[in-house]
Amino acid sequence: MGYDASRADPGTAWPVGTALRRVLPVASVILVLLGLWEGSKLLFDFSDQRLPHLAALVEAMFTPTQGGTGPLLLVQMLVNAWATFRIALGGFLLGTLLGFGLAGLFLRVSVLERGLMPYVIGSQTVPILAIAPMVIVGFGRLGAAPWAAKVLVSTYLSFFPVTIGMLRGLRAVSPQSLDLMRSYAASSTQTFWKLRLPSALPFLFTSLKIAASASVIGAIVAELSAGPREGLGVMILDAAQSYNSRPPALYLAILAAGLVGVTFYSLVALAEHLVVGTRRAE
Amino acid sequence: MSIVPIIEFDRVSKIYPSGSGPITALHEVSLRIAAGEFIALIGPSGCGKTTLMRLIGDLEQPSAGTVRVKAKSPDQARRDRDYGIVFQSPVLYAWRTICKNVELPLELMGYPRQQRHERAMSLLRLVGLGDFSQAYPHQLSGGMQQRAAIARALSFAPSILLMDEPFGALDEITRERLQLELLSIWAESDPRPTVIFVTHSIPEAVFLADRVVVLSPRPGRVQRIIEVNLPRPRAFETREDPRFFTLLTEVRECLRAMEG
Ligand SMILES: Nc1ncnc2c1ncn2[C@@H]1O[C@H](COP(=O)(O)OP(=O)(O)OP(=O)(O)O)[C@@H](O)[C@H]1O
Ligand SMILES: [Mg+2]
Repeated sequence: MGYDASRADPGTAWPVGTALRRVLPVASVILVLLGLWEGSKLLFDFSDQRLPHLAALVEAMFTPTQGGTGPLLLVQMLVNAWATFRIALGGFLLGTLLGFGLAGLFLRVSVLERGLMPYVIGSQTVPILAIAPMVIVGFGRLGAAPWAAKVLVSTYLSFFPVTIGMLRGLRAVSPQSLDLMRSYAASSTQTFWKLRLPSALPFLFTSLKIAASASVIGAIVAELSAGPREGLGVMILDAAQSYNSRPPALYLAILAAGLVGVTFYSLVALAEHLVVGTRRAE
Repeated sequence: MSIVPIIEFDRVSKIYPSGSGPITALHEVSLRIAAGEFIALIGPSGCGKTTLMRLIGDLEQPSAGTVRVKAKSPDQARRDRDYGIVFQSPVLYAWRTICKNVELPLELMGYPRQQRHERAMSLLRLVGLGDFSQAYPHQLSGGMQQRAAIARALSFAPSILLMDEPFGALDEITRERLQLELLSIWAESDPRPTVIFVTHSIPEAVFLADRVVVLSPRPGRVQRIIEVNLPRPRAFETREDPRFFTLLTEVRECLRAMEG
């Protein structure tokens, strides 16, 4: 795609410079956060029980679990993060599909939008913590695999931003570009693929990023509720229960959850860069 | 006129509903345009020029009277792909290269890939954008974008070209060059398309057109039709022809008379 990208961004002529400019802000923010962590511990005199040293976190990572017989905590973290990531990915994909479908449907049949939109919005005002156990138990009774129920809980959170963003995007078409299509006697299918969808993409990716984070939250909440004992949700729960004896485990579990979210978000951002990359607003 | 008109307005009125009561944009407009004619449409702002053009292109429906295009309804003519439209702004799709933008109508009409690419490239060369076929719209100047829009309108060789102040946003020099380009493209087309060219500029109207249709202030009516008997092909020298000045004065006075 990229036609003469160097003209658009003079920075690309300096690959080392750009890399530095990308890494530097991130690195400095991390350093500041670490500094704040240790600094506040020093300043407010937090006990190790309330806020462990960073070194203690690192040490905990490399401590074997289950009283020394299990794998390293780090390994356990990665295994659980991967389990959560898979559920979130499933929820994200399913939510995206559902969002696409609903947006397309609402675009074509506006009566449906007026009829169903209140429920779509209402669905998001119900606390996910209340819904998750119902879904998991309900689906368990129906004999569905536990992961399927978890994916559904994740979907429940991710379909909403996609529906709203996609619909907004599909409608964000200038009247003149629609007139142009009309003057070519384009069918509504052609207008959808050649005009509405491409012009919706920037909106779509914005909501996909929100959906990515939402699906991770959905997956973790689903893991808290029930099902097999795996995933970051379970780790968070266990670490919270054993907080008094091992404080670092909870911080590490939270950190791992954050990392899964950031990774997912970055993947969507990368996809956005590849798809929408070089184009500009009209 | 004895020839069968390609576009015919018979007492056409257009009334827009609006918050502050209905607005009569056009009132009982009757007009006949012959095939291959170059018509300039001029009149004060808000007199209904765009409306008239949109009525021909089936982008707007008349409130009264009838519009016929090639003895069909404008709707049928649109379905038959008789119109190439150039709006005041280029309306290029930002996610398509210039070449792909020009190919768009051909794509919709199901031309094979190879053929539409060749056609688009030859049109881009015609409007002087051969080197920019792979650029994106935002990388082009306003004048270049408008040329791309013209190439797109010409791509499927429509029999009627509707152009709404296509050079309105351009500087005088670019504008005069594009006027010449447009005339030579039009003259070389076989058969010549019928052109409805909306403009605010009196010299532009006289320079381009076979006939200048002057609309009255709102509600728009056909005030006068001025025949432009300047020889073709027209060139830079045409603008120095004494007859050119006489015609300018004629159009100007017609427009002035309506204000008073
Ligand atoms: N969609 C619409 N709804 C309501 N009123 C409209 C609409 N389109 C145009 N009008 C009104 O109709 C009148 C004629 O509009 P039109 O755009 O045809 O004028 P115009 O001659 O093209 O003006 P300009 O030279 O400024 O482009 C104007 O008074 C305008 O306010
Ligand atoms: Mg106008």
